[in-house]
Amino acid sequence: MQIRPPINLTILLAALIGAAAQAETLLLGNAGEPQTLDPHRYNLRLEETILTDLFLGLTAMDAEGNIGPGAAESWQVSEDGLTWTFSMRRDLLWSDGRPLNAHDFVYAFRRLLDPATAASLAYFMYPLKNAQAVNASALPPDALGVEAEDDHTLLLTLEEPYPHLPERLLYPTGFAVPGHVIEDKGDEWVKAQNWVSNGAYVLEEWRPQAHVALSANPHFHEPVAIQKARYLPLANEQNAYNRYRAGEAHAIGGFPANELEHVRETMPEQLRVSPLLSMIYLVFNTERPPFDDPRVREALALVVQPDVLTDKVQRTGNFAARSFVPGLVSDYDGPVPGHHDQPMPERVARARTLLESAGYDADNPLEVTLRYYDDGDGKRTNLAIASFWRQLGVTTRLHHTELKVHFSDLRQGDFEIAQAGWIGENNPGHYLDLLVTDAGNVNYGRYSNPEYDALLNEARKQADIGIRHQTMAEAEAVALAEHPVIPLYSIAVKRLVHPGLRGWHENHRDVHAIRYLAW
Amino acid sequence: MSRYLITRALVSMLTFWVIISLVFFMVRAAPGGPFDGERRLPPEVEANLLAAYNLDQPLARQYLDYLAMLAAGDLGPSFKQKDFSVNELISAGLPVSLGVGLAALAIALTFGIGIGLFAGLSPGTRTDQLLMGAANLGLALPSIVLAPLAVLLFAVWLGWLPAGGVGSPAHFVLPPIALALPFVAAIARLTRGSVAETLLEPHIMTAHAKGLPQRRIVIRHLLPTALLPVLSFLGPAAAALLTGSVVIEQVFELPGIGRYFVQAALNRDYTLVMGVVVVYAAFILLFNLLVDLCYARLDPRIRIDG
Repeated sequence: MQIRPPINLTILLAALIGAAAQAETLLLGNAGEPQTLDPHRYNLRLEETILTDLFLGLTAMDAEGNIGPGAAESWQVSEDGLTWTFSMRRDLLWSDGRPLNAHDFVYAFRRLLDPATAASLAYFMYPLKNAQAVNASALPPDALGVEAEDDHTLLLTLEEPYPHLPERLLYPTGFAVPGHVIEDKGDEWVKAQNWVSNGAYVLEEWRPQAHVALSANPHFHEPVAIQKARYLPLANEQNAYNRYRAGEAHAIGGFPANELEHVRETMPEQLRVSPLLSMIYLVFNTERPPFDDPRVREALALVVQPDVLTDKVQRTGNFAARSFVPGLVSDYDGPVPGHHDQPMPERVARARTLLESAGYDADNPLEVTLRYYDDGDGKRTNLAIASFWRQLGVTTRLHHTELKVHFSDLRQGDFEIAQAGWIGENNPGHYLDLLVTDAGNVNYGRYSNPEYDALLNEARKQADIGIRHQTMAEAEAVALAEHPVIPLYSIAVKRLVHPGLRGWHENHRDVHAIRYLAW
Repeated sequence: MSRYLITRALVSMLTFWVIISLVFFMVRAAPGGPFDGERRLPPEVEANLLAAYNLDQPLARQYLDYLAMLAAGDLGPSFKQKDFSVNELISAGLPVSLGVGLAALAIALTFGIGIGLFAGLSPGTRTDQLLMGAANLGLALPSIVLAPLAVLLFAVWLGWLPAGGVGSPAHFVLPPIALALPFVAAIARLTRGSVAETLLEPHIMTAHAKGLPQRRIVIRHLLPTALLPVLSFLGPAAAALLTGSVVIEQVFELPGIGRYFVQAALNRDYTLVMGVVVVYAAFILLFNLLVDLCYARLDPRIRIDG
């Protein structure tokens, strides 16, 4: 009789443990409670995370964050950049087993821009022809530049060339929604019992403020490893950190900044730090004296040191900025204002001269009010900025309000200098548009420069990304020379991820689709 | 009795209406609206949103519409939780809040009266001083301090109980205790004082003189008189336990209406704020009414037939 080596037992045990882990529900901490799971009514990044698991758009992101095929297997763009032809996958089904084709996307885009849907992010699809007019009730929804050539070919017609369209289609505003259910159930279609979607997962249950439970969609065209998952609304970072340490969440999207050192020491393999496509900046109210004077703005901008802020004051991994378009944006060579490489004494001296020429000196010191909202270490950051300005004899009053009040006041121009932020795309125009004269109230400082506007307008007509971005860089240089804003930093997202979870990759959008994960 | 009841009920209704009206206009007067955020809203989009929620109507019209809706038992759609109506949200959250609140009330009463009685029966002794010292400490430590400490100790370090959320009975151990502790202390102090005072009353002396057993004196003669102050404390306490769960629900991530209240206020979710206020106000008024009625029944000095 042969004695069997005990290795078989080990393999059996490992298989058993593996099976147990597979049956386990994946628990993901999300930044808060979603306000809707209707992709056309969504408004928050924490909703985008869930919706990306529930739905599939024409394009999709792989685990590393690269844009590739989604419901469309390929696409072509016409020479003038105005017509995009998407070839659809042939094996697409809704989660109720009904086939899905190009007509479903036509329905979805029309619904998004129909004023009756009241989609707050409808403007994400304004690159489509007539989209704005449809949304403003000036044209009927069928005037929209979207058309199904046949069941498997979708044509999107644009107002102007928009080479970043595949990226824009990643947002839930570009997802297909089940027209056959919506027409039947109305607004009730988003309830779990009526749920139909085309993503890797379907909605099983949404218990308000407790969890959103997902299960694998049997009709999805690819198999997935994780069968069940729950998103937990963990808005409070301390609670999220506690629940992660108590084993009640397998991944969380943030923890208190002052725990960073402790985490680095005790669980370095679970810490995931990734830069987010974002820009945190200070904005001047250019309509309010003395900030209408470029000399005053330049003086204040000269002495702000973003690298001191991120590396010495915050020490939470944020990335110091030198220009307004984040350095993470690809294929873009932005301007770097010259003062960043000058020694500080020179910068202070020049700033003092500028302030004096604007009429401010020791006898008539400049006093400013800096508004900010609390995002964890907001106070420390803004105290540091105040101390930069103190070198010039400037007195800074800090004015703190909660986020809603902050942005509502910024829109109405009720501020002198304020902290603002923009989480955006891999597209320089997305940031530069904030400084255009007709950007509306999101151009908080009401900055206006015809030369800048003209350059950006010219760039927008370009289908070629190289020329487009070069013109945008010229525009950015024009604006930065007048200092309507002081770029500060890009955010570093700090997550904790269970060491047993495979397939988790950092990406610049910080979206981690469950279908790429496995135990 | 019935006339008293009707008058009291009418006054409560009036108070209810005043509360609703005040809150209705106050939330709308707060700076920032439900659709303000970091992202841009083109004017046509904002117009679509305002129209969808009737916010483009004059304020007086919105107020009358709201009252009409409320009279029909409908708290309206949530402005922010777009997939739920306020009725749905409250019926999901109220059982959690009520469960925690009632469990806390039971803990507060049992331990508060027990400790108070024990200390009050032997006033001035070492035991009395020790218990009342502990009660003072309990009063001084609010839930917002105790609750996170309890989570750290029992969930993160010891791993005995969950840190937050719902799903099993174990999730409902720490929250009621953390919520009840300050009330245990308050009721204990109240009971102790009242018991010590009642001990000196002539009818207790008489009972002792008659040679009645201690147990019978305490239950039949002492407690009914000594617990009157506790009873009058119960109205506000029950209300405070319900609303106090706002903090507890945040710390323990419980999906109760207290959590909605905070989020809705931050989000300027007018209808949800109103809905929670309506529920809170109804409960507080109801509890006060009940306590008044009990009081009248227990204390023969109060006559309610006039």
